[in-house]
Amino acid sequence: MKKLLALLLALVMCCALLVGCGGNNNAAANDTAGDAATDDSAAGDAESVTYALSETPVSLSISWWGGDSRHSAYQDAIAAFVEATPSVEEVTVDFGAWSGWEDKMSTYFASGTAADVCQVNWNWLTSYSSQGQTFVDLNGLSEFLDLTQFDENALAQCTVAGALQCIPAAMTGRIFYWNSETFEKVGVAIPTTYEELIAAGQAFAEFEDGSYYPVALGEYDRMILMVYYLESIYGKDWVVDGALNYSEEEIIEGLEFIQSLEDNHVTPTVQQILGDGAESLDKNPKWMDGRYAGIFEWDSSASKFHGSLNNPDAFVVGDELGEGGFTKVSLGLAITKTCEHPAEAALLIDYLLNGDGAAIMGSQLGIPLSKSGLEAAGEAVDALTAEANSKVLATCTNALDPKFEDSSLKASDGVYYDVMSGLSYGDYSIEEAAQILIEGIEGVL
Amino acid sequence: MKNSVPQVQGRSPARKWLDNNLGLIYILPWIIGFCVFKAYPFGLSLFYSFTDMNFFNGISQYGIMNYIEIFNTAKITKALTVTAQYCLITVPLKLAFALFIAYILNFNIKFVNAFRTAYYVPSILGGSVAIAVLWKALFRDEGMVNTLLSYIGVQGPSWLSDPDYALFIICFLRIWQFGSAMVLFLAALKGVPADVYEAATIDGAGKWKQFFSITVPMITPVIFYNLVTQICQAFQEFNGPYIITNGGPRNSTTLVSLLVYRYAFQQNEMGMASAIAWVMFIICAALTIIAFTSQKKWVYYSDER
Repeated sequence: MKKLLALLLALVMCCALLVGCGGNNNAAANDTAGDAATDDSAAGDAESVTYALSETPVSLSISWWGGDSRHSAYQDAIAAFVEATPSVEEVTVDFGAWSGWEDKMSTYFASGTAADVCQVNWNWLTSYSSQGQTFVDLNGLSEFLDLTQFDENALAQCTVAGALQCIPAAMTGRIFYWNSETFEKVGVAIPTTYEELIAAGQAFAEFEDGSYYPVALGEYDRMILMVYYLESIYGKDWVVDGALNYSEEEIIEGLEFIQSLEDNHVTPTVQQILGDGAESLDKNPKWMDGRYAGIFEWDSSASKFHGSLNNPDAFVVGDELGEGGFTKVSLGLAITKTCEHPAEAALLIDYLLNGDGAAIMGSQLGIPLSKSGLEAAGEAVDALTAEANSKVLATCTNALDPKFEDSSLKASDGVYYDVMSGLSYGDYSIEEAAQILIEGIEGVL
Repeated sequence: MKNSVPQVQGRSPARKWLDNNLGLIYILPWIIGFCVFKAYPFGLSLFYSFTDMNFFNGISQYGIMNYIEIFNTAKITKALTVTAQYCLITVPLKLAFALFIAYILNFNIKFVNAFRTAYYVPSILGGSVAIAVLWKALFRDEGMVNTLLSYIGVQGPSWLSDPDYALFIICFLRIWQFGSAMVLFLAALKGVPADVYEAATIDGAGKWKQFFSITVPMITPVIFYNLVTQICQAFQEFNGPYIITNGGPRNSTTLVSLLVYRYAFQQNEMGMASAIAWVMFIICAALTIIAFTSQKKWVYYSDER
């Protein structure tokens, strides 16, 4: 009996390895197919596949990340969609907070078990569907999804491997938000230039016990601010044609600027912010009570940070401090290739972004890019988000390469975090940090 | 002649096979579960560890490159070092603390059952996400611990953001979950015959002498069991560092399990993640083998002759 059992287990192990090899071959074969297909096959979706609505009502699924207000808006809009669309009898939902969401979704994409319609981050198109293997080419669904409502430039940003892989919901960029009450208390004007920001730091250092700061910047915030700063000085994009467009000397200049923010009491150290023990800055008690009097965040986050202040009336959307910085597609809606009813899924996206659903969604996904969506959203658009978005779009004209957000750079143990925290903790000199940053970015590009 | 011996009217071959293999059939559900959820991933991960398997790009390279990279990548060697420190701190302290409390709770004191329950509760709660979140709240700069310290005039350090302290906070959470080890020690202490203590007392042995010369040797099988299980569990620790510090600051709490997760599910590099997991497995297996080999020298089994 023991021998039989041992034999059985050994057999299973061998099978496991063989299946492993088989799985690998499949993966490799897919990879090869992807290589051979490239743009032609991806673009070919639009030409060769004809989509039609099912004759019987179908079920769809959708997934998204966000906060409570976004969850609630999505659910209301989806309920209205099901009621208004006879060909869809049910839409199942999967949603959660951003933390850990990408890890979960990447596993779903790899295993082919993602929802029919997915809210996607812009860089996911290149990270998970660089050859068009994960998302449907939406050009072929224009019968069900009105693409004319979107700016062609924005659609081009979502075209990867010749396929329109998601519909952009909004454009976004970073901007400063201030707590005017704290600035009044300290007796300094809200900064409008980088020089004024440094000067404000010195005034905050002398206020009370020095525990107040003009702005709180986490590691990734610092990286983006450095790029904004450099783009405001040099005017050129961070990455051009797949190559880093800034020299080592220029990056050192950017890192010196970031370090000067700590040295001049403009921002607390990374150690201080980590010591606050908050999941994110909007949940940080020091932001809530005004000890951190500013943040540098996405324009689409205005309502979140506004709502978390103890005195929301003090919330002010600041100005960009320099003429430069990038904008990007904030997020989009995509249809996965495992979706059995792409036509109905396209109807759902159209409803949420172009149709009556946009009125329910308001600015939960940012200021709608869709012309009809923006019109439908009307008063549901949050005034603060609209103000922030208009300021960003007016000033930030640089383009962003999607690889900027690659997980090996942006993740909590990625290059950006390593460089910015290493600099703040004193583990790296500015020259070392610049070198590590350049090597890391070039490795990804 | 051949047919002169009457055949025994017995079981049919099928019935005979069934009788002989009934036990196997009973455990078949377990075997299937084991093969599908343990053996298959186990074998597959070994295979992947020799490839550059990526969730989205498949495999393009075979070889031992992952194993070479492990020992040439600073953040991986640092994670191995941190994990070793974590084990060295948590395993002995947890065992010592569990034995100490079990020894106290072995006395006939009032409300002993209530105390036993109270000390066991952290083991039920300890690994949960909620407790990890609570831990984070307790040890933040303006958390309860530093607030209490300030009442006695002590300026508490940055427990979570100072690389010199963060690992101790993670270790402390694990040591706090001493309940399950304590229950085993308590059962072992109950099993030490009272007459041995009586004889020792008559011979003039004090409490300390009795503890180290009678109690500890008698419970060495349980100490050994707890040691092996605690080593294995310490190597697998994930929740604490993931939720409380997310491996920071400056990777000072990045344990190997957290690194495996990051490679596998954040960077989709399943090949490298598998290789790191196998290195962890080999280290863990080596320590277990050492423990088993050494038990002849220090573990006392009363039924041995």
